[in-house]
Amino acid sequence: MSSGNAPHVPSLAVVFAGIHRGLIRLQRIPSLMLPAVLMPVFFVVAFSGSFASIVELEGYETDKAVNWMTAWAVMQGSAFSGMGAGGLAGTDLENGFFDRLRVAPTRPMALIGGLVGYCVCRALIPITAVLIVAFAFLGADMPGGALGIAMVYLSGIGMAVVMSFLVLGIVFTFKTLKSLAIAQIIMFSSMFLSVGQAPIQAIEGWLHHVAAINPITNVIRMCRQGFLGEVTWSITQPGLIALFGMMVGTGIWARIRYKKVDA
Amino acid sequence: MLNPIEATNLSRSFGDIKAVDSIDLSVSSGEVFGFLGPNGAGKSTAVRMLTTLLKPSGGSAQVAGFDVVKNPSTVRKKIGVALQDAAIDPLMTGNELLRLQCVLHGLPKRSSSVRCGELLERVGLTVAGDRRVGTYSGGMRRRLDLALSLVHEPEVLFLDEPTTGLDPTSRIALWEEVRNLNQDLGTTVFLTTQYLEEADQLAERIAIIDGGKIVREGSPSSLKSAVGAPTLRIDVSENDLPSARTVMNRFGEERPAQKNRIAIGLISGTPGITDVMNALADSGIEIQHVELDEPSLDDVFADATGRRLEGGKA
Repeated sequence: MSSGNAPHVPSLAVVFAGIHRGLIRLQRIPSLMLPAVLMPVFFVVAFSGSFASIVELEGYETDKAVNWMTAWAVMQGSAFSGMGAGGLAGTDLENGFFDRLRVAPTRPMALIGGLVGYCVCRALIPITAVLIVAFAFLGADMPGGALGIAMVYLSGIGMAVVMSFLVLGIVFTFKTLKSLAIAQIIMFSSMFLSVGQAPIQAIEGWLHHVAAINPITNVIRMCRQGFLGEVTWSITQPGLIALFGMMVGTGIWARIRYKKVDA
Repeated sequence: MLNPIEATNLSRSFGDIKAVDSIDLSVSSGEVFGFLGPNGAGKSTAVRMLTTLLKPSGGSAQVAGFDVVKNPSTVRKKIGVALQDAAIDPLMTGNELLRLQCVLHGLPKRSSSVRCGELLERVGLTVAGDRRVGTYSGGMRRRLDLALSLVHEPEVLFLDEPTTGLDPTSRIALWEEVRNLNQDLGTTVFLTTQYLEEADQLAERIAIIDGGKIVREGSPSSLKSAVGAPTLRIDVSENDLPSARTVMNRFGEERPAQKNRIAIGLISGTPGITDVMNALADSGIEIQHVELDEPSLDDVFADATGRRLEGGKA
């Protein structure tokens, strides 16, 4: 249903209220964060150890597997965190609380913004956890310095936003938590069909072509660049463009599918 | 001035199923209006349309003077809604939910604290305000749901089956709260229910909906009296039975009754009972017991649909 022409409640206040609510829930059920923190930490530990020699292959541009795998784990953690928006919206839809939110004179994008903002806050936890483990226990390097760290956080937060929008669109369409399974499939396939695990030179056949056009490839490169060397605009720019494009696309998708809740 | 709730030919279909079929509604300011019907009759669908949560397939509706499709945001500012099942986040406390609701309705932070305190007191949850809702009883949840719907002092309050699943004590407490709201603040209340007693107790006017259509509308007393005359039963001694019968037959048609009891359909309605009593006394008849059975809303429902609201045959 359209939002009408009456003045709405200020959106920023609603966004912050949404974030606050999400964080309260997170504080009361900390286990909600377990998959989003444990999975990427497990990834970076297991992959850095199991594939320690993989960096001898052409294209890895580093002598330590952890320098390659950390960015991949950060992306995983951020994507998992982004799914939290769908989890919360799905729970609210199933128990009817979402109707209470919708019947308030707020803009739909403010409600969506609260859910996405909550996931951005969530994403900071696995990103930080992965970095701590990578630097403190696995000996990761950061030749890119503070800018490199900033790129990791920027990419991670951006991925959480994209995944939140995507998952919300799916949950608004199916109006059930069960639809998160669809989101997981999309998340995993889009992440694995990129340069997450291997450089583009090492990927063959159709996987090579898909990884080359997959926008997540550019985001992971942006995230990873500080681990491999200096932060450069030539890597950052495509990453930012990819993130922006995905945010706009998935944001529009979420907003359009929000209307489906009315149906 | 336009009534707070006006609907004309309001309809909603889901595929081939007409959940609400061209209903007309008109609810006056300050009225408690009962929307009575069995499960699946279309009550909640109608409420969801009137509260802007669902787009009508046809017809139109104005709530608080604004079209629910063209001006949903304005309508939302003026209504309070407590939907079925008291859907409240169980992980949050009553206080937190009230504060969230204040933000959603744009209340300034300073006045929000005062408002939350007032509302918790109003619904008797001051002590439980800082407890998680998951620990609340069904009645407490309903009362909190009611408080949530009142934070912005709505002109029109929609209560969708507010007492379903509640124990009798909680139900009566909630009725009292709805009455107080209506009387103290003059809030117009649109109440859906499947409970006859609830509609009878609370509503000044009732619409009975069945199969998506409104089948009867009016005040509970007018609806009941339209179904038929109330039944007056008196018990007298065996000796007085013939003369009592003669007297009572002057006031209405005799109806089947047990031994030593005479029953009539009282043509003049409940007020006519005084005349009957006086006539019996004048004839020197000693009355041992008197009963007056008014037709119930279930009789009204049965008369309109051929079914009992509880599911039995009429």
